Amino acid sequence: MTRVWLRWLPAVVVPAVIAAGIVVAPLQAGAAVELPAKTPEQVLAMVAQSPVRAFSGTVEQSSELGLPQVPAIGPSSSQDAASSALELLTGSHTARVYVDGPSNARIQVMDSLAERDLIRHGNDVWFYDSSERTATHLTLPARATKGDAASGEGATPGAMQTPAQLAQRLLAAVEPSTRVTVGNDTSVAGRSAYDLVLTPRSSVTLVSSVSIAVDSKTGLPLSVEVRARGQQNPAFRLAFSALSLQKPSADLFTFVPPPGATVKRQALPEHNATSPAPKPGAVPKPAVSGSGWETVIQVPAGAVPTNILSSPLLAGATKAVSGGRLLSASLVNVLLTSDGRLFAGAVPLDRLQAAAAGQ
Amino acid sequence: MMSGEATVPGDAAVPVTAPGEATEAPPRPASGLALMASELTVLYRRRRTWAMLAALAAIPILIAIAVRLRPTAAGSGRGPQFLNQITDNGLFVAVTALLVSIPLFLPLTIGVVAGDTISGEASHGTLKYLLVAPAGRVRLLVVKYVGTAVFCVTATLTVVIAGAIIGAVLFPIGPVTLLSGDTIAVGDSLVRLLLIAGFVTVSLLGLSAIGLFISTLTDVPVGAMAATIVLSIASQVLDTLPQLDWLHPWLFSHYWFGFADLLRQPISWTSFGDNALLQAGYFAVFGALAYGRFITKDVLS
Repeated sequence: MTRVWLRWLPAVVVPAVIAAGIVVAPLQAGAAVELPAKTPEQVLAMVAQSPVRAFSGTVEQSSELGLPQVPAIGPSSSQDAASSALELLTGSHTARVYVDGPSNARIQVMDSLAERDLIRHGNDVWFYDSSERTATHLTLPARATKGDAASGEGATPGAMQTPAQLAQRLLAAVEPSTRVTVGNDTSVAGRSAYDLVLTPRSSVTLVSSVSIAVDSKTGLPLSVEVRARGQQNPAFRLAFSALSLQKPSADLFTFVPPPGATVKRQALPEHNATSPAPKPGAVPKPAVSGSGWETVIQVPAGAVPTNILSSPLLAGATKAVSGGRLLSASLVNVLLTSDGRLFAGAVPLDRLQAAAAGQ
Repeated sequence: MMSGEATVPGDAAVPVTAPGEATEAPPRPASGLALMASELTVLYRRRRTWAMLAALAAIPILIAIAVRLRPTAAGSGRGPQFLNQITDNGLFVAVTALLVSIPLFLPLTIGVVAGDTISGEASHGTLKYLLVAPAGRVRLLVVKYVGTAVFCVTATLTVVIAGAIIGAVLFPIGPVTLLSGDTIAVGDSLVRLLLIAGFVTVSLLGLSAIGLFISTLTDVPVGAMAATIVLSIASQVLDTLPQLDWLHPWLFSHYWFGFADLLRQPISWTSFGDNALLQAGYFAVFGALAYGRFITKDVLS
């Protein structure tokens, strides 16, 4: 009897050891870090004078916005724009980022069996989508590069503020609406970091806090986390999962469209047309009410295309409330009034209803 | 852990003998390497094994011929990824064929081989002869698992090599466009193809361990095969349900399509490492379970 028992021992011990390893490993990774205490101002100054110019790393983005999820069945070769936008918003993504100075950068969004690449080399910007096999080329105006170089390398120190001054001004700007504190020291991508926590002073907002982890050695922001009220997991999180401060290989930034790909050359839109160009028929502009975290954006009737309003997808995602239909996510509420106006903001529903009634 | 214990005699009732002086037990020798060699000979002498490999080789050939006959249909955006790149570069036949075989055909063949390991011998009545030799049950278990692993390599390479050959015959071969949009030379792309074959082989090792364990539970080989295949399908279905996303990283099929990370520039090794670790975990757990079950099993046939 004992012998039989002994022979089953490995079958018990092995899973136990694996389970123990799974439990212990994250504990060690997240072990308490002790860093010299700093004020929010000092942390911000550290960010401003970060010496990091080149790095490569992996960034992970996850969002839990409380929107309905669609099962991703198998690797699909083509997706329409609407569902891919929804997927970007609700799903999790991993991207590799390579940066070398202000004018060389490459971002690779790693999709399942596909990849989207954004490559900047000097004034040339390429966007490559492997599932569509399209490469889009943009040429940046020379001015943009110069501006970047100036701000990036501090070429005009006289006009520039010192990082400490910049931190002070930034804090002064947000202080009235937001409490800025330094939270518990954390660890991101294996690096110890200060946690800068922004908490809205207002209680009528869906945002509970925004925290930014700042690398304790270099001042590079390592993660951004937005928490919503009444939700355990962060509503949005963008964080490095791996980071190397070495200069990435130069050939990563030179892109030649592969044979067989459709190449599009796109002219850069006019500088004053940063907002989507209004359609003929002059749609009235959205109005903004409230301030800080309580801002409500109002889009007047007629600005929202009717085919969107009548789509069954929207009807399924929204629910009827007094005064219209509500699309509710953990960080934002959107109210579509029965007369066709649209109100949106990171505020509870009653604020939107009040704004709708007040107009 | 299995290889470490392979030197320990499995059945304490049998006197300990050094491997060298193991008495030859008909119909097969029982000393380590000889047992391994005879296991592989039996596996690759089977008509069933060759039929499965032929079926696997037929997948890339069918794909290539279909695309060759109607090249325009491939560009319509339907069908699996990489299909529309075949006309530009024949090497993509191999990648597309692997992509098509991973969800069903490869698990099917692995399920048949792994499910047959112990229960097949039991149903033939040959298991007790294998255990007469002092080599022990642990060694037999190890030999059976290694045999299955060798079949995993063969199956994957069959798809890749058949794909590369038929692709080279029917389509032009040239520099390969990676997912990142960079192009690499033919030599480099062959290396990547072999890496992908390695990735897929590693992906199937967890399933092989599960099949080995199930095979020790029964004397009916068909039952063990079916159970293994059903598990591989069930794991893939669970992997598509967003409500179970906490479970996804623990499913043995979770990284099966991760081989695409080897087609990026630079290669992303993260999923290769994660996959290897996961499969090692499945190997350890189900290897230990198979050990516990097989060591305590009453072998009557």
